Amino acid sequence: MPIYRYIIRRLLFIIPLLLGITVVSFVIANAVPADPINANLPQNALNDEELVAAFRAKWGLDKSPFEQYLVYMGNLLQGDMGVSIKTNNPVVEDIRQFLPATMELATYSIVVGLIMGIGFGVISAIWRNSIIDYFVRFFALIGVSFPVFLLALIALTVFHGELGWAAGPGRLSILTRDPPGITGWFTIDALLTGQFETFQDAFSHLILPSIVLGSYVSGIIARITRSSLLEQLGSDYIRTARSKGLYETSIIFKHGLSNALIPVVTMIGLLYGNLLAGAVLTESIFNWPGIGRYAFRASTSQDFPAIMGVSMLIAFIYVMVNFLVDLLYFFLDPRIRAS
Amino acid sequence: MSDNIATLKVNSSDRRDASFIETAGQILLKNPVVLIGIIVIVFWTIISILAPFISPANPLAQEVSTRLSAPGEEGYALGSDELGRDILTRVMYGGRITLPAALAVVLVDGVLGTIIGAIAGYAGGLTDEVMMRITELFMAFPTIILAMAITAALGPDIQNAVIALIVVRWPGYARLTRGLILDIKNEEYVEAARSLGAGHFYILRKTLLPNSIAPAVVYGTLDVGNAILVFAGLSFLGLGPEPSSPEWGRMVSIGIDFFEQWWMWLFPGLAIASVVMAFNFIGDGLRDILDPRTRKR
Amino acid sequence: MQQHRIKFSLLLTMILLLVLSSISIAQEERVLVIGHAEITESYDVAHAFNPTSGIVHRAAYDTLVSFPDTDASSIEPSLASSWTVSDDGLVYTFTLRDDVTFSNGDPLTADDVVFSFTRLSNVLSNPSFLADPIASIEAVDDLTVAITLTATRPSFLAEMVNSAFSIMNDSEVIAAGGTMAEDAAETDAARDFFDQNSAGTGPYILESWTPQEETVLVRNENYWGEDVPYFDRIIIVNISESATQKVALESGEIDIATDLAPDQVSTMQDNSDLAIYTTLDRWTHFLLMNRDPEIGGPVADPLVARAIRLALDYEGYTQLWEGSITPGSNMWVGIQGALSPAQIMVRDLDTARALLEEAGYPDGFEIELSYPDLTWNGVNLSTNAQKIQADLAEIGIVVSLRPGEVQVSLEEYRTGQQGFAYWFWGPDILDPVDFLSFLPGGKVAEERTNWFTDDVDPDILALIEQAGTETDPQIRQVVFEELQLWAQENGAYAPFNVPTIQTAVRSDIEGYIWHPSWTLDVTLLSRAE
Repeated sequence: MPIYRYIIRRLLFIIPLLLGITVVSFVIANAVPADPINANLPQNALNDEELVAAFRAKWGLDKSPFEQYLVYMGNLLQGDMGVSIKTNNPVVEDIRQFLPATMELATYSIVVGLIMGIGFGVISAIWRNSIIDYFVRFFALIGVSFPVFLLALIALTVFHGELGWAAGPGRLSILTRDPPGITGWFTIDALLTGQFETFQDAFSHLILPSIVLGSYVSGIIARITRSSLLEQLGSDYIRTARSKGLYETSIIFKHGLSNALIPVVTMIGLLYGNLLAGAVLTESIFNWPGIGRYAFRASTSQDFPAIMGVSMLIAFIYVMVNFLVDLLYFFLDPRIRAS
Repeated sequence: MSDNIATLKVNSSDRRDASFIETAGQILLKNPVVLIGIIVIVFWTIISILAPFISPANPLAQEVSTRLSAPGEEGYALGSDELGRDILTRVMYGGRITLPAALAVVLVDGVLGTIIGAIAGYAGGLTDEVMMRITELFMAFPTIILAMAITAALGPDIQNAVIALIVVRWPGYARLTRGLILDIKNEEYVEAARSLGAGHFYILRKTLLPNSIAPAVVYGTLDVGNAILVFAGLSFLGLGPEPSSPEWGRMVSIGIDFFEQWWMWLFPGLAIASVVMAFNFIGDGLRDILDPRTRKR
Repeated sequence: MQQHRIKFSLLLTMILLLVLSSISIAQEERVLVIGHAEITESYDVAHAFNPTSGIVHRAAYDTLVSFPDTDASSIEPSLASSWTVSDDGLVYTFTLRDDVTFSNGDPLTADDVVFSFTRLSNVLSNPSFLADPIASIEAVDDLTVAITLTATRPSFLAEMVNSAFSIMNDSEVIAAGGTMAEDAAETDAARDFFDQNSAGTGPYILESWTPQEETVLVRNENYWGEDVPYFDRIIIVNISESATQKVALESGEIDIATDLAPDQVSTMQDNSDLAIYTTLDRWTHFLLMNRDPEIGGPVADPLVARAIRLALDYEGYTQLWEGSITPGSNMWVGIQGALSPAQIMVRDLDTARALLEEAGYPDGFEIELSYPDLTWNGVNLSTNAQKIQADLAEIGIVVSLRPGEVQVSLEEYRTGQQGFAYWFWGPDILDPVDFLSFLPGGKVAEERTNWFTDDVDPDILALIEQAGTETDPQIRQVVFEELQLWAQENGAYAPFNVPTIQTAVRSDIEGYIWHPSWTLDVTLLSRAE
């Protein structure tokens, strides 16, 4: 079918999905048992009835959950996600401050993961069931088998602490100034404004955490690549190509791999969403000021505007990335276009 | 009569006949890693079951004066933790908590998800769309966030962590099964069964489900490892099982605060890794066995 | 060829310029980097009340009076050069120094003091309760302030040292939307201003704060004092994981790591690049036993409470936390008047069991222990909770642990809903009167433990009254000792450990002193050249 029809069809389904996301986020945010009043108002204020009432009114706590939801949605459509109870900043501001850091890390991690994963997968498929295959699969599994925060700490201690090969925790060295906030991605912003030293610093700080997170996803990517490539290599059109006398490498890479990568592309969306939130564990160890750490602090302090904002945001990003991936899929897989 | 036709598909794929076991055996020999995986799991299962009888100490017994002893010191084979408890014992007991919890998640989710996916795939139309949107809704929220919220609401406890994971991870199975059902529901043998007057449940039970179980099983084995790691992550965030529990993830998350005392995090970490890897090998191997296409070269 | 040569030399020149300019940009600035788990939500003196803000406020503001650099043993003049107390002990008159200016050049006047204290009281925030003893305050003249108390209060001067009583520049704050009016809780709008600025008289000013990332202090060029600090710039970097702080310190990225555990530093002792400072911290860890039988269940019974006190393995906790000591009561051990080591409780399982039987629990009982799941200054509360569980199991009390998120647990604790709980307390005031919070009629007793004055021995109640107002130091000593010993027998608490705080510092940093009131005074630090 033509592409615009495909887009419209997908979009039509996304809208109720997004609505559902807001509802679920709202439920999540209100699932915490205790009254935010007591958690966020200091002692003296608690005794003042007017103040308590004012606090309730300000955060809409005096209304029924349904009304609160409607108020929230009304504000949301105007771009207002409320104010974080903990930081006293608009949630939109907080997200603007913390999200780019995680997105930058997640993107670099996916790239690393893809490189490592596809590499491992191809090697594993070509030398299937040989020693190399087992070795590579074992190696790829290490990233997925140990708890990621443990790997992160080991990596930090060994490669930074002991060997001094990698940069330390944080996005930049402590004495380096943040580049001007254009996109929020330090590497891009530094390049755009010609701050090459800052770029170097930011990049070197990204290496270790993205390798740790990347090896986490490379395991899954490797497995999919391997099985997908094996499937392709065993299929008819490959046999035809072989019988035509084409070189083996050309067969593998030009024909087999491009088809084999389709499922990998599908996974990217899923993985990206998981990386965004799962980064909370790695962000703690690497002192990365991202949305994962923010989400964790919000959830443990019943900061429901923040909880809601973050939940919605991550789910939203996941849906959008999947949508883009589906679009990409549309171009890659002729079968869909034909339907 | 209808029985024969219904079971036709199950038997019709390449070599899946009465000599399935023979074939499986051959595959195992070609794929020694699967064997390794099975051995590891059996090993941990035996250890977990026998722990109360063969462990050198009580997993909860504290002895503050000999805390943080290195392996070999003070009679601790694998060292002692921050409260003087024996690490070897706790690693042995840990499996009793971690393994059943992860298996519980996978089994419940597997059954639940497969059924939901099968119904959605088979029913098609509006039912399918609605169920799939709900599934996507749950998939959109990353595991950790939903798990954080649920355990924060219900309290940090291994049971609540299990509940949280069950609620969060079923969509994977549903999607998988639905996809499979869509693939095969229009095949001839199903049509044949229907034309013979077989009811929906019968068709589902006899033809569709048996063919979709295999991939779900493969997915499940890989998911066990995932569940274990999520437990560890929740422990790190303070949302896992109760503090004195010898659950492996708990032990690792405490251990990283005692990084220099490497025995505290290394041994439970290796336990986790070995189980996760083992299930991964088994899963890979199972897929190789069950998927006819990857068997050829 | 000619073109190429021109282009080439242009390129060379550009590169040269770039290199030269980057060299000149590199300043000779003296910078100190502190790794710290940031826990503040504001740098507004009237709102923030935690160790992070304590460090920053000590650097950017001054109070009327202060403690010596090393302890809280005496009161010293600061912004007030002298003071007098009226005969009835109710009016304190402070004479201010005449040479003090704020960071923006404005001179310090009595109006600034009045503004600061009144605003503190009226914004009704975390530290506002500290201003409760003040009945009224007025500016007698430009350099004289008179503060009238609601009742005599021997600890008042010590309370004045708290950073909540920092003096801020009234005109600057008012210009930023601040107010000291009665309804300041609703109308004051200066909080955002304070998050990025300071309006104080200290040797540093707050240059910027990126929440959860870093706080930057820079030298106050208009500082009025003679003792100019060494560092031009101080960066407090938020590192929430102590494991990460350790790595950062060892690699030299930070100069000071403030949140390490005793077990972590013990492995750092041999590192010649580092110096470890260990001192007794200001937190007393204790168990709370709610006196309301509906909430506390078995522990509401004073006999059971005493049994629990006798069942704890005090020595074991000092082994868990190297350098920690066992307190005699809920009065912080660093305060003059706390019980001596000879007077601490000792484990006695037999008596404990006998008491339980007397109270009607010969076979023990089951109970839940609530506590916040966190690590505070290196002490992991879960570790202690597990040991408490094991200790009490020995007399038949089966404890199940109920850790909670800090905020959730804090809320329950504050409103007296926790029956059996584990918390820690740091003195609001470095004076024995702080202990009164833990006696019938006191803050913790009434609000959190439901322990009221109803059934208490009238002699003890009289003693408590006396303790609050007595000024004679000898008599105070006797009164407080008696009260503490009484609490050991009849109290609703089981204080069991005062841990150490350990800070690791790069060995070229000099002048590090930990202080029980403001944690760290960065103005005392310097780097060996």
